[in-house]
Amino acid sequence: MWGALKHMPDERKGINVASVLAVRGLTIGMPDSPPIVDKVDLDLRPGCITCLVGESGSGKSLTALSLMRLLPPGIGLQADMLELDGEDLRELDDARMNVIRGDRMAMVFQEPMTALNPVMTVGEQITEALRVHKGMDQASADIAALDMFRQVQIPAAETRLNAYPHQLSGGMRQRVMIAIALVCRPSVLIADEPTTALDVTIQSQILRLIDALRVELGMAVLLITHNLSLVAEIADEVVVMYAGRIVERAPRDALFGDPMHPYTLALFAAMPRADGRGHPLATIGGQVPSHGERLSGCRFAARCPFAEARCMETYPTLREIRQGHWISCWRAPLEDHVS
Amino acid sequence: MTHLLVVDGLSKTYTSGGGLFSRLKTARVVSNVSFKLARGDVFALVGESGSGKTTIGRMLLGLIDPDAGSIRFDDIDVLALDAAGLRRLRRRVQIIFQDPFGSLDPRVTVGQAIAEPIILHGLRPAGEVQARVSELLALVGLETAHAERYPHEFSGGQRQRIAIARALAVEPELIVCDEPVSALDLSIQAQVINLLTELRAKLGVSYVFISHDMAVVRHIATHIGVLYGGRLVETGPSETVLGDPRHPYTRMLLAATPSPVPGSMRSREPVIGEPPSPFDDSAHCWFASRCSHRTSVCMEGEPLLRQVDPSLRLAACHHAETLPTATPFDDGEDRMTAAYRLRLDILRKARSPDIPQQTSSGSAHG
Repeated sequence: MWGALKHMPDERKGINVASVLAVRGLTIGMPDSPPIVDKVDLDLRPGCITCLVGESGSGKSLTALSLMRLLPPGIGLQADMLELDGEDLRELDDARMNVIRGDRMAMVFQEPMTALNPVMTVGEQITEALRVHKGMDQASADIAALDMFRQVQIPAAETRLNAYPHQLSGGMRQRVMIAIALVCRPSVLIADEPTTALDVTIQSQILRLIDALRVELGMAVLLITHNLSLVAEIADEVVVMYAGRIVERAPRDALFGDPMHPYTLALFAAMPRADGRGHPLATIGGQVPSHGERLSGCRFAARCPFAEARCMETYPTLREIRQGHWISCWRAPLEDHVS
Repeated sequence: MTHLLVVDGLSKTYTSGGGLFSRLKTARVVSNVSFKLARGDVFALVGESGSGKTTIGRMLLGLIDPDAGSIRFDDIDVLALDAAGLRRLRRRVQIIFQDPFGSLDPRVTVGQAIAEPIILHGLRPAGEVQARVSELLALVGLETAHAERYPHEFSGGQRQRIAIARALAVEPELIVCDEPVSALDLSIQAQVINLLTELRAKLGVSYVFISHDMAVVRHIATHIGVLYGGRLVETGPSETVLGDPRHPYTRMLLAATPSPVPGSMRSREPVIGEPPSPFDDSAHCWFASRCSHRTSVCMEGEPLLRQVDPSLRLAACHHAETLPTATPFDDGEDRMTAAYRLRLDILRKARSPDIPQQTSSGSAHG
């Protein structure tokens, strides 16, 4: 592990006591280089969907992997707090982490074909989870698996249990992935772009499924996506990341009703909308800073039309601008600062 | 009006099985598809995977041969062309794919990749090729220096622009775009859509735009063809089809499209069922099993594409005229809060003059 990083004292402790997964100051990186993900706080609450939004390079997928302690070799994490139901995940060894993964925390990936084992039937894969984590015998695991397949609305569930992944459509494979993830009734589900590769019709079905199951099972969901419309549909809380840092964090209606950060606004402006036909879409000039760049100021400053000298020099620490609405910007709200 | 592209009765089937242990099965992938594209227009083909949209796109370039039907490009019978004729056709019709990384040779510099079609078709004397490459790179917003680099040195959005520059190298009149922006981030997607729109205005390029994203299609298309199970179920001017869809499947696609207006998902009709099997050859409406408006007539005969109102739109639904008014796919900024519109307005003003104001957001000051 790499221990050279200093952390800011956590001044926000205790804002969300009821969270099942509490993350403070999560920092991910390689030794002797600037962090890729920098001081991220997350609170996943039972029955709630938190959407982590950002474009390629924002660090959202690495954040998800790090919570499962599945970071690629050579990349390490540090955190002031990383607790699942009060249990500190930071120092757990692989054996203990294997017990938690798939049981109390589960993950669904964008491409189910790479996450499923091609030489095992999907039935074998889902019962394996139950036998390993719950110590069930094959017969009771079979019953529980069938029940789960029905719950995620796989038609002809009994026959489908004997199918191999390649015999299923993309939407059906993603349902199988979700069934495997949920069969042990985890308290946290992490879904990384679970519908990006699917048709909108299937996407809509999968989202409604996740929406219904999180209530039924009372699980906390972290949904990683770059699709803001999808966020508007399903999120309870939204965390917007840019270049490895949280720039805005708010309840869904506050983010869409009272958006604050210039980056969030720029994303909204880039969306094709009903009344924007015939107009060019707004683009964001410039590039996401590369991981090697050491920036002392706001990471969005170089692309921000509102940036002033202090934005380039000093990083705007997250501050609570309205209740529960956190923002990392010196210039927000814009109407008070921009003439 | 003479059309640049006239597609008539296009069909494609594949057979599988027929060996020792299985019965010969016929899959109808594309079934009797007809549409026309006027010069400068954008015809969007939308539908789920397996709807036949990609197969149609490839048939337009002569990459796949249909079993029946005709394709006429500028009055040339595409299906009758020999190898030399096809080569000449591909000077005028180009294609760009969803994954630009898969369509660019990783061992060839960007400059060489763009120069290749220019040299192959003898479009410029040898001495002028480099200048033309720079010109094309500038057209898609890249720099001359980028010509020396390899595809892996670019981001996804830049690679898609390189693929567009390469397609433009032959000065095509028609570009088939197969999901050109679906793999891109929102801000990059906006750049590529703006670029395609600009090229249409500047060079008069026409597009067949294959996509499953209704919000993108609404932004770019002048005409739309909705495909279901290889058949066109609704087609017409894009504002008519999206503004008042008369086929239940078009409505389902719109209802499934997430909207940036918070919390609207639960109020919309859920998507039910699965796309039809291409092996199904019974004569009934293929959408009936997923349709909340079906009656016995839907199971008796396959509805044909027909005129259902005084507009130019056609729909293949027995009940097209009597469907209730559809919930509009309305995600306009006027549905957002005053604070949202005010701040987006401040952003647009700060970026002007390069970003024009949207008229609708002006009301935020009221």
